[in-house]
Amino acid sequence: MSTEPIGLARDLAPKGVMRAQVGQTDLAIWRSTNGVVSAWENRCPHRGMRLSHGFVRGESLACAYHGWHYDCSGKCNYIPAHPELEPPSTIRPNIYSVVEQAGILWVNTVADAKPVSLPNDLIALRSITLDCNLPSAIDAFKAAAKVDAALFNGTVTELSQHPKILSLESPSGANGIVILFQQPHPKSVVAHLLAKDVYQTNELVAVSRWCESVRHKAEQQ
Amino acid sequence: MTITLYNYVLSGNCYKIRLLASLLDINYETIAVDFHPGQEHKSKALLKLNPAGTLPILVTDGHVFTETKDMLTWLAQHHDQSNTWWPANNSDQLTRVVQWLEFSSRLSATIGELRLNSMLNKAIDVEAAKHGSKICLRELESHLTEQRIKGIQWLSGDNPTVADVACFPYTALSPDAGIEHDDYPSIRSWLHALRSLDNFLTMPGIHELHELKSTQKISP
Repeated sequence: MSTEPIGLARDLAPKGVMRAQVGQTDLAIWRSTNGVVSAWENRCPHRGMRLSHGFVRGESLACAYHGWHYDCSGKCNYIPAHPELEPPSTIRPNIYSVVEQAGILWVNTVADAKPVSLPNDLIALRSITLDCNLPSAIDAFKAAAKVDAALFNGTVTELSQHPKILSLESPSGANGIVILFQQPHPKSVVAHLLAKDVYQTNELVAVSRWCESVRHKAEQQ
Repeated sequence: MTITLYNYVLSGNCYKIRLLASLLDINYETIAVDFHPGQEHKSKALLKLNPAGTLPILVTDGHVFTETKDMLTWLAQHHDQSNTWWPANNSDQLTRVVQWLEFSSRLSATIGELRLNSMLNKAIDVEAAKHGSKICLRELESHLTEQRIKGIQWLSGDNPTVADVACFPYTALSPDAGIEHDDYPSIRSWLHALRSLDNFLTMPGIHELHELKSTQKISP
């Protein structure tokens, strides 16, 4: 698996836990109180409970089942039923590489996460889930961008060569959006949208609504 | 003034009243009703109080409330000195509060029904309820995303209101009905914000956020 975008960094606040699917791997992604993000296999080494049901306590994630605590390195540092015990260092979930870049969380389950490089004048706008396959989602966004070109100041150019990134710009390059596609399941696509920082608030709201109309079309195909 | 809530602990609608009462620090009494399996809400005595045969019922000096939205509104009007949970002095915000109060009924009619099917085997059209639940959650996600883009944290404005309290329970409890929050990042952030409020109250299926303070207490 390559490095996958799994969400907006701002949508995972400190003390937040979320679940994500990358390839065959079910992940628990969490952010500590001090802001450190971790991406782990979604399975407590103790009894297999999903860690995405867990609670952030300071710089540790506590499993919802028996409260075993794991620090940001994955090391088990507290077992409530045996408070005097120093847990063996072998007790740790599988840990994956996660980085924050361009307002996006990127995960790689086999190697170090290396995000694709994006222009630095983008703001991460929103993630939206579409119940369709990847080609339908990409086609729907391409088709809609041509029809609704007003969002891009008149005419749209497609820039990206990457199969799971759609970059739509006005000819001048002043207006535009970038969509990163993630496919957690065969019939489900998450589109992570970034917009050039020139858009006003009401225009960003319009882009957000536009995504919903695109989803409506994509799901009808 | 005595306030009495006819209550069933697993009911999302009863929880709305308990939650607002907790947030506003309102004293009240509860009378436990054996909703399941006793069907006590359909008993002669309770039908006399509420012919609709629904829960919750709120009885105060001179009033018997049978609609959850009216209870929330009344409690906020009479027990919130800040006038923010029912923003009577802000007509624009109040209009939005009324709209999202209405929306909360749709959450009850979809996610609430699906949850009753999952937990108590209530006979319903499951596919229709699943479809309706998804439409509601997408609408809520869309609105909360737009609010976030505008820099607004809550459903109707910069402060939480009875609308947030009304929409919170069945949204938060949707995993009971088999609908996870994975696809709804803005909903997750809003649920987290509501659970972070002072005097937040839990119910089965909605737990508290654990703070660092309690870790320091229990960790070695």
